[in-house]
Amino acid sequence: MTDFASRLVSAVLATGRRLSGLVCVLLGISFITFTMTYFAPGDKAAAIAHARYPDAQGFPPEILDGIRQEFYLNEPFFVQFFQWLWRFVQGDFGNSFASNVPVLEIFLANITETLALTASSLAIGLVAAFCLSAISVWKPGSLADRFAVALASIGAAMPNYWLGLLLILLFAVELNWLPSYGTGTPAHIVLPALTLAFWIMASQTRLLRTFFLEAKSAPYIETLRLRGVSEREIFWRHIQRHAAVPALTMIGLDVASLLEGTIIVELTFARGGIGSLLAGAVLSRDYPLILFLVMFFALVYVLINSLIELFQDALDPRKSLELLSNTDVGDEVRS
Amino acid sequence: MTVASDLSLTEEANLKQKQHGKNLDRFLKNIGLGLVISGAIAAAGFFFTPYAPNAPDFLNRLSPPSSEHWFGTDQLGRDVATRLLYGGVWSVGLAFLITLIGAITGTLVGLAAGHFGRFADITLMRMTDSFFAFPELVAAVTIAGVLGPSTANMVLALILVGWMKFARLVRGLSIDLAHRDFITQAKLNDLPSWLILWRHILPNIGASLLVLWTNSWSRSILSISGLSFLGFGVQPPNAEWGAMLLSGKAYLQTAPHLMIFPGLAILVTVLTINLMGDQLRDLVDSRSTISE
Repeated sequence: MTDFASRLVSAVLATGRRLSGLVCVLLGISFITFTMTYFAPGDKAAAIAHARYPDAQGFPPEILDGIRQEFYLNEPFFVQFFQWLWRFVQGDFGNSFASNVPVLEIFLANITETLALTASSLAIGLVAAFCLSAISVWKPGSLADRFAVALASIGAAMPNYWLGLLLILLFAVELNWLPSYGTGTPAHIVLPALTLAFWIMASQTRLLRTFFLEAKSAPYIETLRLRGVSEREIFWRHIQRHAAVPALTMIGLDVASLLEGTIIVELTFARGGIGSLLAGAVLSRDYPLILFLVMFFALVYVLINSLIELFQDALDPRKSLELLSNTDVGDEVRS
Repeated sequence: MTVASDLSLTEEANLKQKQHGKNLDRFLKNIGLGLVISGAIAAAGFFFTPYAPNAPDFLNRLSPPSSEHWFGTDQLGRDVATRLLYGGVWSVGLAFLITLIGAITGTLVGLAAGHFGRFADITLMRMTDSFFAFPELVAAVTIAGVLGPSTANMVLALILVGWMKFARLVRGLSIDLAHRDFITQAKLNDLPSWLILWRHILPNIGASLLVLWTNSWSRSILSISGLSFLGFGVQPPNAEWGAMLLSGKAYLQTAPHLMIFPGLAILVTVLTINLMGDQLRDLVDSRSTISE
């Protein structure tokens, strides 16, 4: 019973430490995000006025002063920061400068396209990576293995906007099989998804191959082999499970980078989605939208990282002991 | 442990180190040779090319690759091969500069976190974690866009988001090292902490730093050309590879050579640097002993 109590206390302490670290990081993220837009050139009051009264030509100073009062634009930096943060935490993300529509509405209208692209490319990429790495560890050093490694190296060095252009050139211009730009039909998603999937395939093949090889050289695998368990069963039942934990960790991190990759791919293929939304917002200096989107990307990253840690703790009993001495958020996850 | 086995152990370690030293020598010679050859080719290109990178030739617009223009000409009749050479200076050189500054900043932050007490450690690492949460491209697009698209702003943005990996690596390694005997000894001898850092810590983490640095160098080339391709980086008429791809995109159907060659240049360069990094990592991993 005392053992259970002390365990409980240590678990609570560790969780508390994690949570306090998480809060610090979230504060840091919002501070950096706010600072990025705070020092931008241009009169924000005039931009807000333009969003509210799109037809007006000039604005009397009273209106601008009123807006400055309302948005605390005359206050010092830290007052402005906490005012923004307080509104943000309450779910008041403000209206877009460009269209005066709530930022959240614009975001929700665009996120589905990005999610569809992310999900489909992740699915294609992971299946390809799994097949390639399974073939490659079957006989390490064979021709198939070398091919897989070479493909992974090329994929890691491939600029994805160039791959996108090459795919357009081949499938849309030369063969005329698929549409090149824009959104609409399901066929429009094929080329962008393939572009991102190639990158996922490359990074995951490399990692999976290493994890499989590590699992394959574990002593208990040799024991199983000596006991006469078939190679097929060893691979499907043992090596796979052994490699699952590190693989899931890396897939989680890739999802975070995948969202980043959608920016370039969405712009290359002139698709809708939050990537092209961010680029548009940046070019038109739509600060509420920029702040929201940057916060979104950062929060997704932190969330995924925290989930990976929880997941690792749950799966690996050794980790719960280490927790007591570990003070960092996600130190070993992304090195 | 007996004295004899102890001796043989040190001998083995010495032998390993010698072997490793030989490998490293050979590797560095190969790298040096490779760099000299590619540098010589690039220099010869600058010397022999009869064209200027930004000189238009309206009679020869969009001409396909020929013996006069090896990689063809672009929409203004500029020689693509010449522009690729000059573009390499932008892409590879800027990436070199950005990662160098990032590596120095990150190393300083990491060393400070590892050596100036718990408070400094927690503060600095929380800061690093916060910066880490921003995907490189998101932060770079935002900063470069909000400040206005230009080369200088892109460089600033990439430096801001490029130092955290180095900070984490250096902090981890130097904390590991801090418990070694030779560090304790140095502390007992009242060596000032900057001297310990400079003479005992830094030389021992140098190799790992170099591996990470090669890695981020190639990533940085991809980021620079990606940002330029999106219009947030190097601006035309400067011949940067990503910017060349952007202007070539419009002529995808009539003159595909405009987008094939710059992309190929990026791919080959990044691949080369990555392979170099892989080899370097294998060498560092094979080193088992720490030089004191």
